[in-house]
Amino acid sequence: MDMYSQAAWLIPLFPLAAFLVLTALGRSFRRAGILTGTAGSLAAFVLSMIIAVDRLGGRAVDYNYAFDWIRIGDYTLRIGFEVTNLTAMMLVVVTLVSLLVNIYSAGYMKDDERITVFYGYVALFTFSMLGLVLSDNLLSLYIFWELVGVCSFLLVGFWYAKPKARAAAKKAFIVTRIGDAGLLLGILLLFWYMPDHALDFTTIQSVFDGQSGAITTGITTLIALLIFLGAVGKSGQFPLHVWLPDAMEGPTPISALIHAATMVAAGVFLIARTYDIFLDSAAAMETVAYVGGFTAIFAATIALAQNDIKRILAYSTVSQLGYMMMALGLGSLTGGIFHLFTHAFFKALLFLGAGSIIHAVHTQNIQEMGGLGSKMKVTAWTFAIGALALTGIPPLSGFWSKDLILTVAFETNPLLFVAGLAAAFCTALYMSRLFFLVFTGKPGAAADGAHESPATMTAPLVVLAALAVLAGFIETPWNGWFGSWLSGEAEAAHGSGVAIVASIAVGLIGIYVGWLIYGKRSVSRTAARERLPWLVKLLEKSYYVDELYAAVVVRPLKTIGSLLMVVDEYIIGGIVRLTGIVTASAGRTAARLQNGQVQTYSLTAVIGFVVIIVAIVGRRFWP
Amino acid sequence: MLPSYLTMAAILFCIGLYGALVKKNAIVVLLSLELMLNAVNLNLVAFSKYGVVPSLTGQIFSLFTITVAAAEAAIGIAVLIALFRMRGTVNVDEFDKMRR
Amino acid sequence: MSILQDIPILSLILLSPLAGLLVVLLLPKHRSGWMKTAAVTATLVPLALSLWLYADYDKQQGGAAFEEKLNWVDVPLNKELQDISEFVFKFQYTLGVDGLSLPLLLLTTLVTAMAALAAVHVKKRWKSFFVWFLLLETGMLGVFLARDVFLFFVFFEITLIATYFLIGIWGYFNRERAANQFLIYNGIGSAIMLLAFVLLVNTAGFRIDQAGEQTSFIYSGSYTDIFRNMADPTAWVNLSPDQMGAVNPFQMTDTMQWVLFILLLIAFGIKLPVFPFHTWMLKVHTEAPPSVVMIHSGILLKMGAYGLLRFGVLLFPEQARDWAVVLAVLGVINILYGALLAFRQQEFKLVLAYSSISHMGIVLLGLAAFNEIGLQGALFQLVSHGLISALLFLIVGSLFERTGTTELSELGGLARSMPFMSGVLLTAGLASLGLPGLSGFVGEFLAFLGLFESMRWLTALGVLGVILTAVYVLRAVLKITFGTQPERFGALKDARLVEAVPMIVLLAFILLLGCYPSVLTDTVQYSIGGLFEQLLATRAGG
Repeated sequence: MDMYSQAAWLIPLFPLAAFLVLTALGRSFRRAGILTGTAGSLAAFVLSMIIAVDRLGGRAVDYNYAFDWIRIGDYTLRIGFEVTNLTAMMLVVVTLVSLLVNIYSAGYMKDDERITVFYGYVALFTFSMLGLVLSDNLLSLYIFWELVGVCSFLLVGFWYAKPKARAAAKKAFIVTRIGDAGLLLGILLLFWYMPDHALDFTTIQSVFDGQSGAITTGITTLIALLIFLGAVGKSGQFPLHVWLPDAMEGPTPISALIHAATMVAAGVFLIARTYDIFLDSAAAMETVAYVGGFTAIFAATIALAQNDIKRILAYSTVSQLGYMMMALGLGSLTGGIFHLFTHAFFKALLFLGAGSIIHAVHTQNIQEMGGLGSKMKVTAWTFAIGALALTGIPPLSGFWSKDLILTVAFETNPLLFVAGLAAAFCTALYMSRLFFLVFTGKPGAAADGAHESPATMTAPLVVLAALAVLAGFIETPWNGWFGSWLSGEAEAAHGSGVAIVASIAVGLIGIYVGWLIYGKRSVSRTAARERLPWLVKLLEKSYYVDELYAAVVVRPLKTIGSLLMVVDEYIIGGIVRLTGIVTASAGRTAARLQNGQVQTYSLTAVIGFVVIIVAIVGRRFWP
Repeated sequence: MLPSYLTMAAILFCIGLYGALVKKNAIVVLLSLELMLNAVNLNLVAFSKYGVVPSLTGQIFSLFTITVAAAEAAIGIAVLIALFRMRGTVNVDEFDKMRR
Repeated sequence: MSILQDIPILSLILLSPLAGLLVVLLLPKHRSGWMKTAAVTATLVPLALSLWLYADYDKQQGGAAFEEKLNWVDVPLNKELQDISEFVFKFQYTLGVDGLSLPLLLLTTLVTAMAALAAVHVKKRWKSFFVWFLLLETGMLGVFLARDVFLFFVFFEITLIATYFLIGIWGYFNRERAANQFLIYNGIGSAIMLLAFVLLVNTAGFRIDQAGEQTSFIYSGSYTDIFRNMADPTAWVNLSPDQMGAVNPFQMTDTMQWVLFILLLIAFGIKLPVFPFHTWMLKVHTEAPPSVVMIHSGILLKMGAYGLLRFGVLLFPEQARDWAVVLAVLGVINILYGALLAFRQQEFKLVLAYSSISHMGIVLLGLAAFNEIGLQGALFQLVSHGLISALLFLIVGSLFERTGTTELSELGGLARSMPFMSGVLLTAGLASLGLPGLSGFVGEFLAFLGLFESMRWLTALGVLGVILTAVYVLRAVLKITFGTQPERFGALKDARLVEAVPMIVLLAFILLLGCYPSVLTDTVQYSIGGLFEQLLATRAGG
């Protein structure tokens, strides 16, 4: 039964091999490069599917293998892989989206001269992400965690000649690094507190079982919060969300793969992996829930006022990741992971759809689009499915996962339930705004000559659309199969009529309002801008968070740097120079004694002699 | 007896030292050096006669000193003459070539 | 038992560059091609030998088998005063390797060989360049091989003099000033070191050999003797006058131990460099020719850390432990100060110079941790930073040759015309900021891990440096490689083969260490296993 899981270590090796081959080939073999990259992720996908299907049958045994990475005396740092149901699910998600993105990019990036480099980076990313998923301990997870970060950085800055892309890449790396530093400290803390300095998840699970009390609550909370800081950075939660919208400077397939479906979900995955630590600390759980809930509504409101199609989707991603965090914080592992699962498909779908649109109209501004529905039928229909799934309209996948989260919130924390509903309303509103502005109405400035994208691009859309429809049925209020498969606990029927009705109602109202404003245009589009200009401005500027950071962090840092430069140049350098000057002038002064007069010399000698005699003789009379 | 000799030698030595350090004329400086050497000789002879362990070593030593002093005076005068030919003076103050 | 133990492998490694030096001396002056070939070959020989030694280093024997000893000079002392048969001051030619020095030895041979390849940029007076260059290599190898404090000192000085001329003659515009500052600053360091060594030999270096009727009183600079005496509670150096019967001229009092420790800290701190003794190396980094900076920042700085470890921490463990906080604070200052200043520099070489200061701070943290993990981290960081900074300066040299500037404001978008070099630069930058999978991460992680056991808050501050490192590295590297390219750089050529080879080799080692650090840590582990417990346990007994 474990036979297939044993082979899981092979999965990341396919994309790695693809990356190495691509790097070795260089830029000239374009077609071969595309094929290599796609083949690598196809092989990984097939093997992941086999493993996942193999594990579907029941509660398969977790498979674990590790080897020593560094041995230092009694301490050993290990690297290894582990296959559980959670990782099996993630494997499928990552490899599937990666495969589709590979196929899609063959069309989208067709004219880019560095397409093989692109495929190489994607393969490297897929390798790192799979390594992250398969890691059996925090250290190796951290290693791959950083690697996916750097791949994201490389891909965001793929069009390196654009200064904006450069700035975005830098920002993505540095902001996530802040979170990573937290995670690193969390790992250090864990290392010294864990019995036997073990960092693997199995041991973590057994130590933090809520009763052993091997580690005090204060330390547990600290560890959990530090790990959460890592997740906040990676998953774009407030206040470290600022990098994700900027990261949209990268090619769109990358936004779908990294910044929607896989890497940004790594934060959620990390918390799920170390969930037992969080369960041991009520304070940490609360923090996670509130940060998640706040981020959900915070980002959703910003998305209302953006005009760049990719930025809207980016804020939407931030908001949905907030949902996942909220679910985890409220104690529903199933809710968080389930939403991660469905979100991966419909958000990848939306991004790829957006890519298809951008490919056709060469702009990202939704105000310049319009009326694309008739020209790009496949894109429009699949995009509609994705948008409805995101909005949470039954029976699409997003409905089931969002409903599960809202149900949990309804039962445990009314405040967060309200926040979730509000965010859901905003989601419905901004998605309908996006959809109606792009696909209906009069053709916009950039819509001339728009045409449907080639089959390599639409085929992935169709596949993802199908998944966006179907993926939700694995867990419904009447059928808790996914939850029990994931956690190994008995199926629990859940569901609350109030939550279901409320979430459907909010979604429908949101769409209706959006339709009134942007579809039917019976309500003025500028009404909000005229009545509340400051609010719109605030939302357009994303609550001025970037400006705030520039003033509070970046500028002081620069000032300190400049100040230290002065210190270095004039104080420390000055002391050094002063020492030099003092020595030199002492030398000059002493040189004056040498005047060439023999008699002066001998006089000096005589004086010295007398001093010595006096000293020697005088000592006898000293008490 | 010894203290009188030593006092005599000390006075002689101090006069010589004074002359060597202060006088401008190089000839006088050389003469002063001779004075100091003779003061030392006086000491040597005095100790060899009245010292704790009297022996001839001191007197022999003073003979050597006198010889060396004579040689030294000869060389000194020779250098002085050479200098005088070059610079036209025997004023010690003006001999500061060593500085450069 | 291997063949290596039958031949004087250490001397061969040490002397092979000298042989190359002789060959270079004999070559006609205008044959620069011959000379380069000879010099590169002369650096490849010790590289091959040290690789062989590394591979063959028997972990169970701990390198004890590799020790070579020759009497060099015996200075007889006044033995009439004592009633003994011999009373001498012994200088010995003692070479040895252990887990601490072997990785650094390999680093030296590797980086020097790569630097020799990079010396294609040298435009004048090849002959004297390679003579000094090979002499420098001998000096560096000697520093890591020497097991006698005076021998160590001699080799240390050789590196100083050779570097002085290499900077002063072949450097950039302000070279003579830089060379003078380098020599004077380091000369002060050496003077302090010599003072400490003399004091050390005068106390801990004294021993009495009893062979039958013959009794010899010997002062020796042998590190092994000094180490043994210092660790032995019944040795003269550790006995108070009361225990000896009124007088013990060889006793090292507590005050004296502290004085020696601080002297050594300053002497090697200048070399490391520790804040605030760092200003001299800024000029060196900007003015020295590329191949010399590679060696300077790749190896010469490491000698400071090595000396601090070998003489400071290992001989005075109690003082080091009591001052661990001071070391850690100095380390954190180095990290943050270097990072903040690197962030504000407009000249790429200065960014790298300050980055070296920042990275050496991590070494200090590792030493301050005072446990095996920290020590491993410190050593790993030494090797890793040696490789990374050598690679970075290699690229800088090639860049400068093409663009004629290293001012950040004038550079940009070089990824277009030089994709290979830009890729290597980016990778080296990522290695420098501690990306896992490349060697920089392991050293950093181990150092932090070790220090975290005893000093939480300082570690957290140090980790802050990790973020700042990312900030300044990316700022500089992205400015050079990304963005729009000034037109005058449009026609620049990518790296030639002779430049690409050392880049690839260095990168390969960085990658190897990052992916499988046990290659290094296992070798070190034998020498330091249980080291700290032993050190402190023996002291506690006395």
